[in-house]
Amino acid sequence: MARPAKAHADGGLVFCDGDWSALHVATAERQLKSIRLAPGEIKIDVSGVERIDSSGAWLLSRTARQWRSKARTVDFVGTSEHIRQLFRLIAEQGIEGEPPRPATHGFLENLGRDSLNAATEQLAFLSFIGNITFSSLRILLTPARLRWSQVVTDAEESGFDALPIVGLLAFLIGVVIAYQGGVVLIQYGAGIFIADLVGLAMLRELAPLITAIIVAGRTGSAYTAQIGTMMVTEEVDALRTMGITPIDLLVLPKLFALVVMLPLLTVFADLMGLLGGMAMASSMLDMSFQNFVDRLGQSVRLQDFLVGVGKAPVFAAIIASVGCYQGFRVTGSAESVGKQTTLSVVQSIFLVIVVDAVFSIVFSALDI
Amino acid sequence: MAENAEIVVELRDVVTRFDEKLVHDGISLQVRRGEVLAVVGGSGSGKSTLLREMVMLLQPTAGSVTVLGRDVTAASEIELLPLRRRLGVMFQDGALFGGQTVLENTGVPLREHTELSGDLIDEIAQLKLLLTGLEPSVGALWPNQLSGGMRKRAALARALALDPELLFLDEPSSGLDPISADGLDDLILQLKELLGLTIVMVTHDMDSLWRVADRVVLLGDKRILGAGTMTELSRSVTPGIGKFFSGPRARVAAREHNQGASL
Repeated sequence: MARPAKAHADGGLVFCDGDWSALHVATAERQLKSIRLAPGEIKIDVSGVERIDSSGAWLLSRTARQWRSKARTVDFVGTSEHIRQLFRLIAEQGIEGEPPRPATHGFLENLGRDSLNAATEQLAFLSFIGNITFSSLRILLTPARLRWSQVVTDAEESGFDALPIVGLLAFLIGVVIAYQGGVVLIQYGAGIFIADLVGLAMLRELAPLITAIIVAGRTGSAYTAQIGTMMVTEEVDALRTMGITPIDLLVLPKLFALVVMLPLLTVFADLMGLLGGMAMASSMLDMSFQNFVDRLGQSVRLQDFLVGVGKAPVFAAIIASVGCYQGFRVTGSAESVGKQTTLSVVQSIFLVIVVDAVFSIVFSALDI
Repeated sequence: MAENAEIVVELRDVVTRFDEKLVHDGISLQVRRGEVLAVVGGSGSGKSTLLREMVMLLQPTAGSVTVLGRDVTAASEIELLPLRRRLGVMFQDGALFGGQTVLENTGVPLREHTELSGDLIDEIAQLKLLLTGLEPSVGALWPNQLSGGMRKRAALARALALDPELLFLDEPSSGLDPISADGLDDLILQLKELLGLTIVMVTHDMDSLWRVADRVVLLGDKRILGAGTMTELSRSVTPGIGKFFSGPRARVAAREHNQGASL
């Protein structure tokens, strides 16, 4: 293997030798930069160069040009035919000035652009919501036009396939609440209230919230990635040209499927959470399943269950519309798919929690 | 082309099978240093698959692939790294990285494999972009702002970043208008002369075959139907070969070529 490229100066003479190909020319670049030029004419002796490619030749010719710009005469000596060819090749391209870089903006301009983007983003999301609402109403008038087979497939993927993970997590949450609550309740001899605690917390708040968060991470992200990739591969544009509204084909089936499946998943999470609470109560407090269920029947009203399940369709609408909206925001590249998918999950979880808080306020005001 | 020129890529009895589907059944071919070898064949004849095996993206089911004197079917990924730096690949749709400008894309191999300063890398990348016939200002654009022809040229510039000995081109002229395609053909020939490249290309384009290829390998029916110069192949009387090179498009391309030669 040839020695790496080297360059050293001796008065007005600069010697270059070794392998001047891209992989081995880094040292020579630093050496050329550190050379202090003696006054007068400069000769660059390249007779020692064993190998050279266009990167090496560019380094030599740009160095010569830099020195010439300091009003020096620079000549090459000992150039082989190959080096002369490469120099000619470079000269033919007529490179002048710096390579272009994308325009950068000052702080104020960036601030302005970001604010404008944020505002248009909000507006675009609002108009997307309006668009979905309009399309949903239209399709509800003519339900036959909804792509039912797509709805069923989406329902299976977003609902049925999520049963194991939702069930497991809800069960564990039930266990944790019963344990944390039980420790305190036992001290007051109020162990029986463990059923109230688990029942109300799970049914009213935790089951719908946990289910929505899991589904946002699992299904919302999948919606964004799917639609986003279809944007990149121009499949969405293909649909448009065929006279198929992307919203009808891509958004509405997902929306309807999720609006149906999320409440069902929530009911399943209710059950699993109660089971977890029961299991913990029986092992920690020696409370039989029978006692737990009896107490549950006295403390939990039907409306507590309905309040929890009733929030689920709203959460579903948020997750599906944010997921699809972010998918349509994808532009051009794989990187953009990743960015919008992250945004989709963060925004839908954020909105779900905010809306849940609003529900709590409204329910307490209405005394439900 | 000297018969005893160094062999840079050699395939021996390559068999490729995807699940039940047999793609190649015993393919042997050699690429000599300094030549342009074109691999042609109908859609689904396994041209691109063969290319993927030569650039070490896919292992053949059986047989051996030797690249620059090294058997790559037996080598580990780490052993292949130094070899990969010596070859450039231009993918069919460019495969430019969407998150980087064209200039940054072109500089990726340099940034990754050398310790050159950022400025020098940008300048070398710019040189490569100009070499492929792009305007100086294109470097600042993003890949999704490029037209199909510009994207191919930028991809070619990136493939040339490290001055590879071996250049693989997957359908270089597909999706280009005839003038751009001719331009790209000329460019490939010119770069081959200037940089001393060996080129393996997969193509459908009859004009490219006449203009650029030193030797042509015709794939079909899972094996090599014929190999030789375009003139040899187009005069072949073997049914499979004759059919491929005597369609109306092929005849027009051949006629133009022969007229050009006689002028």
